[in-house]
Amino acid sequence: MTGRNGKNLPAYIGMVGPALAVFLLIVAYPILYSLILSFTDFNPNKGGVWHFVGVTQYARMLGDPNFWHALSNNMVVVGVSVFGQIPIGFALAYILYRGMVGAKNFFQSMVFLPQFLSTIVIGILWKRMFQADGPVSRLIQIISGNPNAQFDLMLRADTVMYPIGFALIWMYTGFYMVIFLANLQKVDTEMIEAAQIDGASEFQIFIRMIVPVLSGTVLVSAILAIAGSLRGFDLIFSITTQGLQRNNAMVLPIFMYQTAFQDFNNSARFAYGAAISNAIVVISVGLILISNLIGKKVNAGEEY
Amino acid sequence: MKKTLIIAMTALVSAGMVFAGGQAQSGKAQSGTAPAKTVVVKTMAYGDNSNAEGVNWVRIVKAFEQANPTIKIDYELLYDEAYHQKVSARLAAGDVPDLAYMGGDARWGGPWKEASQQFDHRPYIDANYFDLNLIPPMGPNGEIWEIPLGTSNITTVLFMNEDLVKSLGFSAPKSYDDLVAMVPKAKAAGLDVVSIDGADGWAWGSCLMSAIVARLSGDPHWVSKAVAGQNHFTDKVFVDSLSLIAKMVKDGVLSDKAALVDYGANTSNFSNKKALFMIQGQWVAGSIDPAVADVTKMMAWPKLPGEQAATAGSVAAAIQVGYGLTKKGASDPDVRDAALKFLKYFYSVEETTQRLRDGAIVAPILKNYQVPSDLPLIVKQKVTLAQTAKSTDVIDAFLAGAANDALNAGMQKIATGAATPADVAAEVEKLARSK
Repeated sequence: MTGRNGKNLPAYIGMVGPALAVFLLIVAYPILYSLILSFTDFNPNKGGVWHFVGVTQYARMLGDPNFWHALSNNMVVVGVSVFGQIPIGFALAYILYRGMVGAKNFFQSMVFLPQFLSTIVIGILWKRMFQADGPVSRLIQIISGNPNAQFDLMLRADTVMYPIGFALIWMYTGFYMVIFLANLQKVDTEMIEAAQIDGASEFQIFIRMIVPVLSGTVLVSAILAIAGSLRGFDLIFSITTQGLQRNNAMVLPIFMYQTAFQDFNNSARFAYGAAISNAIVVISVGLILISNLIGKKVNAGEEY
Repeated sequence: MKKTLIIAMTALVSAGMVFAGGQAQSGKAQSGTAPAKTVVVKTMAYGDNSNAEGVNWVRIVKAFEQANPTIKIDYELLYDEAYHQKVSARLAAGDVPDLAYMGGDARWGGPWKEASQQFDHRPYIDANYFDLNLIPPMGPNGEIWEIPLGTSNITTVLFMNEDLVKSLGFSAPKSYDDLVAMVPKAKAAGLDVVSIDGADGWAWGSCLMSAIVARLSGDPHWVSKAVAGQNHFTDKVFVDSLSLIAKMVKDGVLSDKAALVDYGANTSNFSNKKALFMIQGQWVAGSIDPAVADVTKMMAWPKLPGEQAATAGSVAAAIQVGYGLTKKGASDPDVRDAALKFLKYFYSVEETTQRLRDGAIVAPILKNYQVPSDLPLIVKQKVTLAQTAKSTDVIDAFLAGAANDALNAGMQKIATGAATPADVAAEVEKLARSK
């Protein structure tokens, strides 16, 4: 028995089948279930009958100010990731690659260190940093000379994303640095030496040679950053306390969690939560498509 | 093709041998002296490996299983948010445990009620063992959905460091004005007057506002009536209650940095003598540094401005949570009997006394229980407070979901000057009425 391409079909099915079955059960089934659920008012906790309600949950979501607040915070996280973590990670990788600092291995390990820590631990660590009379407040008190000064950016909706953005950069920059560092190893050093002989400065080498050569890596990193930012839940959840802080810093996954798992007044809360999670997927795919489009426009590709 | 068949046959034979081996082992176990059938009680327990609740749970289950080899308590131990999340997820997935940590109110009973898994324990509670007068009705027809760990759970306790208050030349406050009078000296000494974990939204509702609204309205059940639609959150008394929070911050009774202090920092501040008073629930008594606990007095809020005589000196208290059978667990007589046997072991005099000493409960619900004379002072005070103070509604025992979240975050906004009491009241009313 052979398949279309002449391969042994039973062996092919035997090898692919188990993985496919697991994929369908673990990945495809929940996605499909979530999609169907979002067009109903069914509450799996309560049981009963599925009622098709069309796009009611989506219409409700679009009219909910919490959705737009969460989306706007998510866009800040995407911005911090794409325009913060990636450029800083790239610059640090280049500095290490070119040996502009001593103790290269030490700095590389230090920047990458947060990746070894649990996200929840990092969240609690930063929560402690930002609390009343915590290390950041103490620093402000010393600098300002005001013993009552407090770091209160976490309490305001318009400023809460600054400290969180800082924590996000601290946590994830090392990850992108390592990606860029690995790709920089593949760059032909003779090309850089030739540029140096021609009188190019380090900045010119970086901007005119390295960045174009690694544009594909930038694109892949951007896609990773966008996808990670939109599904990001753990760090923001653990860095904030329940109530005002978490409401201020609410991103779409937290909004979805609070809706589906905590809002007992809404009997269709699971369906509403499913609509929010589907929106996260749609927005992620949209942003990734835009990134790909931009990548193609700027001809992102890697030539070494 | 032949190769494929050989590989497939080999895999099938290997798998068959493994399963056959397993069955043979079971068969051996079943032959001979015919051991009794093991009953498995699937349980959702509350606690973690770092707190007394979790550590005691593991110890109790181990001892019970040793004493009852035919019963297995198959538990999942979770704490705080993780527990609530898992309850919702398991119920939604149809994976209903037989026995679980639960409550009868909106916060702890909501998911079980929604899933129609609450089970009336009244016919099965041993009246000779438990004092039924101390177990309040939880359902509309007097049903008892769970066996509480203890008597009602006071959430609005004012813990006073008596030594610290005396060192500033004051005594226990009789009115709010007495607290205001302490502000200048406390500030000069670098101390907070009243510390609250204001970074946690629930603390404002459970530990402060629940007391205020009952005191100002004169109705111990104002909140439950509001949730039922008989009162409105936009009523003047509720707005005035919210305004008192702003006044407390303005007067310096509550610190203006309160919204940045979390649960752990609040207890730590009080234990480190950085505050004269602390607001929290009775359960925190066991977390106070023993040296400070010895000089701590547990009290109700003193007379508040605008307070009504009917609720003077009251504290807010909710029905204590505990373990209860689910409808699914009770549907199998073997599982039900095994679970009830375990519950009797779990609520034994020895374990209940340990809970009392740990500060986890106010007072036991066991019949003819003799309170040990060597209990720590703070635990004795707790029992006295529960016996003497009038009980009123705890807000989140009745108000759930988005409305409760809006109220909690709203009080934090009021405390930080980011919202007015009227705005917060209007938002809560709107969300409480929306379905």
